Amino acid sequence: MAAAASATARRRRVGATLVRRALRDARVRTIGFAYLFLIVAYVNASAYASLYPTLKSRLAFAASFGNNKAVVVFYGKAYDLLTAGGYSAWRVGGTLALFAAVFGIFAAVRALRTEEDAGRSELVLAGRVGRTVAMRSSVAAIALTICALWVGEFAGLALAGLQAGESAYLALATASVAFVFAGVGAVACQFAPSKRGAVQIGLAVFVACFLLRIAADTSHGVEWLRWLTPLGWAEDARPFTGAAPAALIAPVLATVALLLAAALAFRTRDIGSGLFAGRDFSRPHYSLLGSPTAHGLREERGSLLGWVLSLAAVGFVIGFVAKSVNRSVITPSVERELSKFGALRVASPIGYIALSFILVVPAVCAFMCAQMGAARREEEEERLETLFSMPVARLGWLGGRIALALGGAVVVALAAALATWAGAEAAGLHVALGSMLEAGANCLPAAVLFLGVAAFAYAFAPRASSAISYGLLAVAFLWYLFGSLVSVPKWIINATPFAHVGTVPVEPFRGPAALVMVALGIAATLVASVRFRRRDLIGD
Amino acid sequence: MSAICTSRLGKSYGDTRALCDLDLDIAEGEVYGYLGPNGAGKTTTIRLLLGLHRPTAGRAELFGVDAWSSPVEAHARVAYVAGEPFLWPALTGAETLELLANVRGGTDTAYRSELVERFQLDLDKKIRALSKGNRQKVQLVAALATRADLLLLDEPTAGLDPLMEVAFRDCIKEAKERGQTVFLSSHILSEVEALCDRVGILRSGVLVDEGTLAELRHLSELTVEAAFDGPAPDLGPIDGVRAERAGPSALRFAVSGPVAPLLKALAAQPVTTLTSREPSLEEIFLHHYDAADGGGS
Repeated sequence: MAAAASATARRRRVGATLVRRALRDARVRTIGFAYLFLIVAYVNASAYASLYPTLKSRLAFAASFGNNKAVVVFYGKAYDLLTAGGYSAWRVGGTLALFAAVFGIFAAVRALRTEEDAGRSELVLAGRVGRTVAMRSSVAAIALTICALWVGEFAGLALAGLQAGESAYLALATASVAFVFAGVGAVACQFAPSKRGAVQIGLAVFVACFLLRIAADTSHGVEWLRWLTPLGWAEDARPFTGAAPAALIAPVLATVALLLAAALAFRTRDIGSGLFAGRDFSRPHYSLLGSPTAHGLREERGSLLGWVLSLAAVGFVIGFVAKSVNRSVITPSVERELSKFGALRVASPIGYIALSFILVVPAVCAFMCAQMGAARREEEEERLETLFSMPVARLGWLGGRIALALGGAVVVALAAALATWAGAEAAGLHVALGSMLEAGANCLPAAVLFLGVAAFAYAFAPRASSAISYGLLAVAFLWYLFGSLVSVPKWIINATPFAHVGTVPVEPFRGPAALVMVALGIAATLVASVRFRRRDLIGD
Repeated sequence: MSAICTSRLGKSYGDTRALCDLDLDIAEGEVYGYLGPNGAGKTTTIRLLLGLHRPTAGRAELFGVDAWSSPVEAHARVAYVAGEPFLWPALTGAETLELLANVRGGTDTAYRSELVERFQLDLDKKIRALSKGNRQKVQLVAALATRADLLLLDEPTAGLDPLMEVAFRDCIKEAKERGQTVFLSSHILSEVEALCDRVGILRSGVLVDEGTLAELRHLSELTVEAAFDGPAPDLGPIDGVRAERAGPSALRFAVSGPVAPLLKALAAQPVTTLTSREPSLEEIFLHHYDAADGGGS
């Protein structure tokens, strides 16, 4: 008896250690998401009253945006747009459910598979830790991180003055999505041959669920499809619009079933591989193996395609929705707020496009950071040592990676512009193709600047370079967003490069500012090159 | 011209001294064994020879070209096998060989096919699915197939099974016959003993001994054992000889320097058997490590 009791105590102790370890691993991501949930919830919920102060403006908004299919695609079905709560349930709940799903997938894969693929779980499982304890600890850690998101959303809604009970319930509906998709991720981890495969399976299920919800919300006669998707269950919980808690039984059952299935599969599979064997064999494809740069393109083409498709999708939606923007949607108070970003005629389709396209600029900058991050991994994982032991010049290699990043940025930016144009055309709105391409090109000077920043960080602090480059990007863009919304002195806002990017096509392209950004980017890249030529390679 | 030449080459990482005052001069066509335990500075030396890390003192040249200031020219006649076989996980073995051949240039594809056979490499498998030993074989085949004038090998047989170890040794012998220079960093003494013309022994970043195996043996002690008819006699002190009992009627001598004085002393004794044995590389190696820090290496 004593032995059994001490074994139980030991299992608890080990489990608690593993939970702490997983939480430490997830803390940056979790805090980031919880903060995002808080901000999105607070900003939307509190903006409603000031943007749509009168019943008339609310009715106009509900009549136009609430019934616009393009908008419903994004946020889901709106049940009540005449109250701040109903608006938040639609706008906040609709947006955050998508984020919650993605968070759930990544949290599960990170906790259940990343350690394993790195070979560290073997060390844990080789000790006196059973698989059941290991899995339970990971699941407990995931559940705790999802609770943090719930707290973030609830706090944001409550701080904005919404009723506390309903706010907690809306946040619960969002969290239910995260739980189900964590279950999806957990099952995917058991089947996929690698963590990357698990993420792909998880995201594919997410896209399928998203499409089901879109079909259910936008087409008549197939509303029952909503019952097949966790995103639909969160809608059917009807927070703020006559709560129906019974709808939350489905996510509870689904989560439990998925986790049980994952636990069963985990007991039967080999550590480090999934129940589906990966494609470890392949006939050789000799294209793009001629030089390190060509091979860089080969390694990065998948990721480039991902960037192109996602920004093109965003662009298409922006273009497609634009036509329905008019005076009745953008009230004078909204217009006053938005005009702070510089667009002169926001309450027009073209103004809406110009303003929305400002979001594409930091995305292209982030693409630059990602490209330099990929270059850094070549060094960190010591493949660069193999390349540089051959007649390959360091500067030539770095130049090739920079050229790849620049070429990729042009493709990504122009794809977003073209897709926006195509979206507008598809909705019957005519926008000059030339002016949309100009908007795409308008992203590039800032991208060159951030390429310089990322290259600089990579040359001087390779191990911290991603954190530095993405961090500076986030600070610079949020600085611009919040600085523009809360009226701070002009010179403070002007410290961020994004204040100098014109809202093309409504505003003209700002040549001098673009020139300065490009010059700074090139200068930083040159300094980075000198440093990169002269430093030791990293790696153990 | 020397294939490898370093003068007072040194490297410190912060306060840690990884390599100090290294003077190497390795002639073309030589097979040089670079011995040392983990952390002695073998990999640091190779990184300096390849210009991957910057020397904090002295310089390194490959075929007379400075490794740090002109790495591309210095690498023109070099092939390298890294200690940790990190390659591109998404490529298959065949694709990896193709990429390395394109970047390196000068690959003999017929010889490469032969090497693939000899190392029993599965070229259709992706690198991520290969074991460490198999990834090591991909690197080895890529490097050997270039027939480069200088092969820099950093513990190339770590992870290879005994059969592949034999294949590796054959390849190095062939390379030597063709006149290629080989710099073989290793801590597998039998491998170095079997392959190398000359050996350098590294301890804590310092080259403590260097020479041909014969020279190293010459400098080390010879072991002589003598058995006597009757109890072992007392020979008295002999120059350069330490004696110890090896049984009631046997003595063991450690001889440094010429063996003649010992033979002279033994000639007058009733010796029944006399055996002598040269020190193995292992004994030479351990000798250097025991002498310094009480056996801690």
